[in-house]
Amino acid sequence: MSDLDRQIEQLKRCEPLKESEVKALCMKAIEILVEESNVQRVDAPVTICGDIHGQFYDLKELFKVGGDCPQTNYLFLGDFVDRGFYSVETFLLLLALKVRYPDRITLIRGNHESRQITQVYGFYDECLRKYGSVNVWRYCTDIFDYLSLSALIENRIFSVHGGLSPSITTLDQIRTVDRKQEVPHDGAMCDLLWSDPEEIEGWGLSPRGAGYLFGGNVVTTFNHTNKLDLICRAHQLVMEGYKWMFNQQVVTVWSAPNYCYRCGNVAAILELDEHLGKKFTVFEAAPQESRGVPSKKPAPEYFL
Amino acid sequence: MAMVDEPLYPIAILIDELKNDDIQLRLNSIRRLSTIARALGEDRTRKELIPFLSENNDDDDEVLLAMAEELGSFIPHVGGVEHAHVLLPPLETLCTVEETVVRDKAVESLCKIGSQMKERDVVDWFIPLVKRLGAGEWFTARVSACGLFHIAYPSAPDLLRAELRSVYNQLCHDDMPMVRRSAGLNLGKFAATVEPANLKSDIMTFFKDLTQDDQDSVRLLSVEGCAALGKLLEPADCITNILPVIVSFSQDKSWRVRYMVANQLYELCEAVGPEPTRTELVPAYVRLLRDNEAEVRIAAAGKVTKFCGIISAQSAIQHILPCVKDLSTDSSQHVRAALASVIMGMAPLLGKEATIDQLLPIFLELLKDEFPDVRLNIISKLDQVNKVIGIDLLSQSLLPAIVELAGDKHWRVRLAIIEYIPLLASQLGVDFFDDKLGTLCMQWLGDKVYSIREAAANNLKRLAEEFGPEWAMQHIIPQVLEMINNPHYLYRMTVLSAISMLAPVVGAEVTCQTMLPVVINAAKDRVPNIKFNVAKMLQSMIPIVDSTVVDQTIRPCLMELNEDPDVDVRFFANQALLACEQVMCA
Repeated sequence: MSDLDRQIEQLKRCEPLKESEVKALCMKAIEILVEESNVQRVDAPVTICGDIHGQFYDLKELFKVGGDCPQTNYLFLGDFVDRGFYSVETFLLLLALKVRYPDRITLIRGNHESRQITQVYGFYDECLRKYGSVNVWRYCTDIFDYLSLSALIENRIFSVHGGLSPSITTLDQIRTVDRKQEVPHDGAMCDLLWSDPEEIEGWGLSPRGAGYLFGGNVVTTFNHTNKLDLICRAHQLVMEGYKWMFNQQVVTVWSAPNYCYRCGNVAAILELDEHLGKKFTVFEAAPQESRGVPSKKPAPEYFL
Repeated sequence: MAMVDEPLYPIAILIDELKNDDIQLRLNSIRRLSTIARALGEDRTRKELIPFLSENNDDDDEVLLAMAEELGSFIPHVGGVEHAHVLLPPLETLCTVEETVVRDKAVESLCKIGSQMKERDVVDWFIPLVKRLGAGEWFTARVSACGLFHIAYPSAPDLLRAELRSVYNQLCHDDMPMVRRSAGLNLGKFAATVEPANLKSDIMTFFKDLTQDDQDSVRLLSVEGCAALGKLLEPADCITNILPVIVSFSQDKSWRVRYMVANQLYELCEAVGPEPTRTELVPAYVRLLRDNEAEVRIAAAGKVTKFCGIISAQSAIQHILPCVKDLSTDSSQHVRAALASVIMGMAPLLGKEATIDQLLPIFLELLKDEFPDVRLNIISKLDQVNKVIGIDLLSQSLLPAIVELAGDKHWRVRLAIIEYIPLLASQLGVDFFDDKLGTLCMQWLGDKVYSIREAAANNLKRLAEEFGPEWAMQHIIPQVLEMINNPHYLYRMTVLSAISMLAPVVGAEVTCQTMLPVVINAAKDRVPNIKFNVAKMLQSMIPIVDSTVVDQTIRPCLMELNEDPDVDVRFFANQALLACEQVMCA
């Protein structure tokens, strides 16, 4: 068994790697990711997954429902880290799978794959707590800069974390962006990771303070110009796990069940077969007994 | 941690690390305490290390906990049992700290040491320590003291024994509820060491006082004492002393006390014996089953089978069964789940007639419960009913429910049913199985959820083992092979997985004749994932089939896959080819 296979087994048990191993893994990952296009070509069949947010045991549940990698091909639409208890293990497992099976799994960047955001929403603190230094956070955030911005499945389905940008009309324009940088505060790269679809005409201001709201007519034009059937994106919590919009021109897929361990939502994955047939599989959070929630202090003994 | 290069001046380094700001370093050095002691030798350990530790007890709880634990197994390092008493002072200090887990660990270690000490040493060192802690100014010392009496008492001479009992009496009436709780908690252990005459007089008085304590948290702990004391007393004494306490606890105004009784009732019944159980405790139990608090009903419902096991079937049917019926429609799902997890066990106790008339409708009701845990709990114990009511009835009334659950929207419920199928199959026999369950087993191979498809494949293997290769050839393999034409690659993958599991069961001939051609054909699939699974599968078939088949069929196919444009296909084909070589060489 190779070192990498052993590390994958270890990460599947939710045991983080040593700092030196993380460093070596990231070096290998960069070699693979640097070759990928901003609009990474992906073949069907593939299973598309939305936000994970460090909910490691729910990611394992996802694999139980969708099948293990490499048996099943996967495309993850970003937001691997922050909010959940196990961002480190979650991201490293996905990254290790990417390095081991580059053709079987595709990872693209979400708005949380950023130095700024991770310092506020948990990944930075988690790295510091688990490793005692910020080195692992540095290695991981350096990887984030290399993650592709979007994926194109069989030239028909455009996949991106957030959505569209007013400064982009063709896929070729995305291909020319220099992505190897921290997510900027505005511009095409920022919008792809931050925008949301909304029932409006044309473009609107986003309440998130970054990216835009885009309406149905924007999507129709974009899909027509680029000869697309569908835009598949994540980024927004949907209680049913997935949500169609604009006459099935956009679909949101959300893969973090019971988001933040409290939202009560179900999660979904979109399984595309080799003929681009679509099948959503909905799943719930992993049952309590199969997850190691960090032990809270036991109730004081005078309580019972 | 490396054991080589032990430091040459260990005590200096230990002190250095014990003063380090990094808690991890302090912890490490405490964890290495036995190594350091070994380096110092017994004499210096007694004279330098232990006194040093006694003075350094103003640290984080985590470090103190580690210290309390390490000292418990330190006797060999201080020169054996004759010197064990030098370990008492540091542990005595740890017995008085604020953090409960540290104190508990220190008490545990003291008990460990005390039980090895010579009788004379116990009198000289251990008993004075117990008395000091028992008279401690701060309540933490007195809490800890309660846990040491059962070690001290057996070694004490008569006079000292009377004194120890009177100290315990004081602790049972301490101003602080925490101390009384500890006295209640440890009473059983202590009582077991006290001579019968004093048990009946002194200990029973302590017990009675604790059971009438104002604080429910103190009464709560005496419930456990009931069972422990009950086992020590003569049956007659038990009935006069313990039984009234249990009955009154079952009506205590605090639900937490009633909850404890419900939880412990079986042990309590064992203590008082069968006859009084019938007359006195059945009504108490019925009250608990009908309690206002759901928590109490959960605890009581979970014990229903155990309880019925110690009373007569007639009494169970007359008194308990009506309550069970009500609980099966309880408003709390957790009550129903608790009931469902044990109710199947009542079938053998009640006998066939009562099971069919009374229990079966309750099972069926619970099988349709809206809460999946309830359904799951019932399914996982179905075999217990089967033994009582037989296959015919099972098929009439339970099978429809099983078929319904086979399509349950929670995949873990479906999984539980699948895992139950081989057991059911073995009890139903081949004919019945083919009739009713065969199609179901095939359906699962096409389930939306990957884990269900895998379990379904594994289930087929277990069925083939149960009913034999002949049967598998007729009833499983053709249907499975047909599914290889599914347009979705994930479902074709399940077929491959089923084949690989069935191959070892059905043997080389069937594998080569019927399944291998399908696998070879799948090597031409358009999806790489199928192709590399074919490679893996062929590798797993190598040991099963003849070497000519490997040479003429498997290897050429792998050679072709080894030229595939997809890197993963080439990787797994190459792995399989290496396995071929090894077989050829061997």
